[in-house]
Amino acid sequence: MGRNLGLVVALVLLCLVGIITAGDTFATGANVLTILRLAAVIGVVSIGMTFVITGGGIDLSVGAMVALASVWATTLATQQMAADFHWIFMVSTALLVGSACGLVNGLLVAYGKIVPFIATLAMLAGARGLAEIISDRRTQIISVNPFVDFFGGSLIGVPVLVWLFLIVAALGWVVLNRTTFGRRTFAVGGNAEAARLAGIKVQRHTVALYVLAGLCCGIAAVMLMARTTTGSSTHGQLYELDAIAAVVIGGTLLSGGRGTIVGTVFGVLIFTTLNNVFTLNNLSISAQSVAKGLIIVIAVLLQQRLAARGSTP
Amino acid sequence: MSARSARFLKTATLAGLTSLALIACTSNTPEAKKTDGNATQAAAGSGSNDAPGQKVKIGFSAPAADHGWMGAITKATQAEAKKYSDIELIVAEGTNDVNLQISQVETFINQKVDAIVLLPFDGAALTPVAIKAMEAGITVVNVDREFDSTFAARTTILGDNKGMGISAGTYVCQEMKGKKDAVIAEIAGIDSLPLTQARSQGFKEALADCGLKVNNRVAAEFTVESGEKAAANLLQAAPKIDAIWNHDDDQGVGVMAAIKNSGRKEFFVVGGAGSANVMRDIKAGNTLLKATVIYPSTQGADGVRLARLLVQKKALGDLVEVEVPRLVQLYAPVVTKDNVDQYLPTAFES
Amino acid sequence: MANDELLMMSGIVKEFPGVRALDGVDLEVRRGEVHCLLGQNGAGKSTLIRVLTGAHQPDAGQIVVNGNEERLNSPTDAINLGIAAIYQELDLVPELSVAENVFLGHEPSRFGLTRRHETATRARELLKGLGHGEIPPGRPVGMLSAAGQQIVSMARALSRDAELIVMDEPSAVLDPEEVGNLFRVIRGLTERGVAVVYISHRLEEIREIGDRVTVLKDGATVATGLDARQTPTAELIRLMTGRSIEYVFPKRQDLPAAAETVLEVANLSRPREFADISFTVRAGEIVGLAGLVGSGRSEILETVYGARRAASGFVKVKGVELKPGRVQAAVKAGVGLAPEERKSQALILDEAVYKNITVSTMTRFARGGFLNGHAERVAAAELTRALDVRPAGIDHPVRNLSGGNQQKVVLARWLLRDCRVLLLDEPTRGVDVGARSEIYALIRKLAANGVAIVLVSSEVEEVLGLADRVVVMREGRAVHIGPAQEIDEHRVLDLVMEGSAVS
Repeated sequence: MGRNLGLVVALVLLCLVGIITAGDTFATGANVLTILRLAAVIGVVSIGMTFVITGGGIDLSVGAMVALASVWATTLATQQMAADFHWIFMVSTALLVGSACGLVNGLLVAYGKIVPFIATLAMLAGARGLAEIISDRRTQIISVNPFVDFFGGSLIGVPVLVWLFLIVAALGWVVLNRTTFGRRTFAVGGNAEAARLAGIKVQRHTVALYVLAGLCCGIAAVMLMARTTTGSSTHGQLYELDAIAAVVIGGTLLSGGRGTIVGTVFGVLIFTTLNNVFTLNNLSISAQSVAKGLIIVIAVLLQQRLAARGSTP
Repeated sequence: MSARSARFLKTATLAGLTSLALIACTSNTPEAKKTDGNATQAAAGSGSNDAPGQKVKIGFSAPAADHGWMGAITKATQAEAKKYSDIELIVAEGTNDVNLQISQVETFINQKVDAIVLLPFDGAALTPVAIKAMEAGITVVNVDREFDSTFAARTTILGDNKGMGISAGTYVCQEMKGKKDAVIAEIAGIDSLPLTQARSQGFKEALADCGLKVNNRVAAEFTVESGEKAAANLLQAAPKIDAIWNHDDDQGVGVMAAIKNSGRKEFFVVGGAGSANVMRDIKAGNTLLKATVIYPSTQGADGVRLARLLVQKKALGDLVEVEVPRLVQLYAPVVTKDNVDQYLPTAFES
Repeated sequence: MANDELLMMSGIVKEFPGVRALDGVDLEVRRGEVHCLLGQNGAGKSTLIRVLTGAHQPDAGQIVVNGNEERLNSPTDAINLGIAAIYQELDLVPELSVAENVFLGHEPSRFGLTRRHETATRARELLKGLGHGEIPPGRPVGMLSAAGQQIVSMARALSRDAELIVMDEPSAVLDPEEVGNLFRVIRGLTERGVAVVYISHRLEEIREIGDRVTVLKDGATVATGLDARQTPTAELIRLMTGRSIEYVFPKRQDLPAAAETVLEVANLSRPREFADISFTVRAGEIVGLAGLVGSGRSEILETVYGARRAASGFVKVKGVELKPGRVQAAVKAGVGLAPEERKSQALILDEAVYKNITVSTMTRFARGGFLNGHAERVAAAELTRALDVRPAGIDHPVRNLSGGNQQKVVLARWLLRDCRVLLLDEPTRGVDVGARSEIYALIRKLAANGVAIVLVSSEVEEVLGLADRVVVMREGRAVHIGPAQEIDEHRVLDLVMEGSAVS
């Protein structure tokens, strides 16, 4: 994992800053869990985004899909079903809605030949609009307590949300690096025409990538629902930008063909830790945005240097 | 849902009972404020509340400052905290992502702050973490957008949305002086929000009192652009208008632009929220803006002061009651040329 | 004659991490000469050109231009010294007009406003100077032929008062006729005193246009100042490869009479591309398609492969008709394609060699979707050894391999799949002379193993030398089908040109 060295260094530096400036609070178990809980939701979205970007696409609709999935899963009817039977109804509704949106994205991109930027931009507007219509812009409050208790709780001292993030990240790593699906993702993102002529079903694979991203958004929606005990059309605002930023500073090539789950996880952790350190130190609101921007630029510059050194032109 | 609306009803009644015109009641105005002009009506009494006491560490979190009013909330809060040597205020990044805001509150809990002043992006979504903070022994002061559990905050400070409508409607009635066929128009904010519905309801009730009604109503989205669009549509639809109430002074910038473009002058405009811009226009008297109703942008600042009192176990100066009230609802006064000087110092810059 | 000397490069060293791309290169170019640079792919020609044009900075060595030692820190420095390059992948902006491309970066302007009229006039003058006054300055470059675009590139170099123009395989994208035209332009340039550094794999071109030759091998100059016309071919090949190669094409083998027909193409047509194409290929047979660029050869291959959908006609593999327009159907039936544009159509350049080899056979190394990386690497390593892919090792990105070795990787991909039909589109494009014979031998060996092969090449001698039977194409139609031994190069060229209006 030599190529992630820069990210490790960045994260360690951030942690050092945290320990030096707010050691008594920063280096506590509770605070680490706070960071991880924040990272969990956006992390799951970013894993899905890593697949899409590695496969040569982009998904601007992740935040909107989170919102729509959360709203749909918390409508009164779904909640009633969940209350009568099991909270699994709510969870599967969220996952289905996310996957279905992803399917639409994928079909538009792969078969409708709409560039991903535009197709998912349309989904961004459409899904959030639909979420607003379904919820009438009102926050849906979850009354199914077992659901909140389970997902909001902890297993062996670690919040269920964090477990979910770890599981999704681990699965993502295995799929991307150890399966034919992952290999095809690199091939399609690296050179779609070559992949097609090598006999890979490029269109079908592209659809699968977007469905995967949608599914991740569904999972993230479930996590956010547990964390907030609500579903809302305002959930997931600007997640697309947070996710893309995390994926890109992690080392995934925005043009596709190169992607790393480990890098994405680090990218997410760097941003959430940054947020935590800034809040702990009571630093100015705007300085934080500036720092985020700087980190993105520095990380990408560093990567380009490393990439240039790694391959002969 | 039904449980929730019942709860809403309960808190609404509670709000009615404890409604206070806080502006008239703050005896604990610090020295600094007194000297910068007639900031508040009068600093009645000089309670010992302002004397430095036990150190208080307060965490503050609010939504992103994408609206002039919201920006003013944080600014006013920070300014207020600076006046007290015993307050240490920690301000978290303004955000519209509930996930991040929850994390900020969790961080405050980890930091073992004494109190948290929270203007939640979404009251319901922040309720679980607010309860967690209360359970950790932290005093939570809820500002503007209500939690959906009474256990989530020690004290809640609210503006008075319905009161805004009532004030605006009453002012329009006065100005119409019994003119029965007056054409009244209303430019609302985001229509599906309960706060907008409350404002419109109050306006309607107040107008009905003098036999008027809203003849034309359009809705904008609290942004300049949407205000311009909505107003342009309204002016097209109604060839003659006597008075317009616009819910929000930020979108009002767009509303006034549309009016200016139309060249119409037969009516007057009442604003909402109370931005400094609008108040300056009212003071100058050379526009169609004759009045605005205030939705205080100092709620966060009030929150910080109440949080300090709560932690230091002090009472609210002019109340006989020894505890800080559970709910404080702020008054929505009408600002006109006659009293504008009094409100201008606390108005927000949009 | 000392002031004849325009450029002196000596002892140039350039290192990349893990690779010493240039290891002491000397090059000396005189005014008004065509100096040919020979060397196998990977010998360092491209890197040398990048150093010369300021794109790379050397780690050691001296560059002297017009008697002054210079440091070229950027392409701008090189341009200011009168050094320009015309690359294989032309660096023109297709959407901009000819004139705008010629003056890109130094537009005639006043107060920041471009002077369109002056731009057009001066571009027309430059094009006329190159003998191509017929190219309209206002036309978007994307609408010009490859040859036309080259002329525009040259006009651009001249607009910068270039004294030295580097041409990297300019003939690769040209028809024989266009090559003749290019040579006329080059002669016109040298008469004006401009020096040309000419890179090509075609020895016959070097003999025709070159004055002197410098040979590179493994990043170093092995011979310089050779006479381009007199030096024997065998000597040049020996210098390039370090061994001497006598003949290039492997011996044909007689087909067993029982060899079954594997591929059957019948009445295949696509409007405006080709019409009514029928031919068969038996197991172990190589069928060559000869014809000019644009005669529909590549389109036929891609249609057989399902990458294009036929308007009519059918393709059968072992008697089973393929679903038209479906690559997967062809691949499943055992058809493989080594496309013309290796880099953009066949390879995932930044991926490792072994991943490029196994990309079409992945499922074989997977159980339940999980890849067995070890088995995969073993299979790939075996093949790279068998095909002598260099550098050895299966973890390099394919990008770092030379053209010939990249082609071997593509062939290895289909070998691994046990293809019954292999479609080869320009298999030796960009492959140097030494490696070509290896590729030829490999293709013949595949045929000997019973693969049916369809070969497309612009080089008639390659088709005639390698194929058993030849299909000659003209303007989308097959004008002759017959055994390769019964026809010669002249006859093929006659057939190809016959009746064509171009002259």
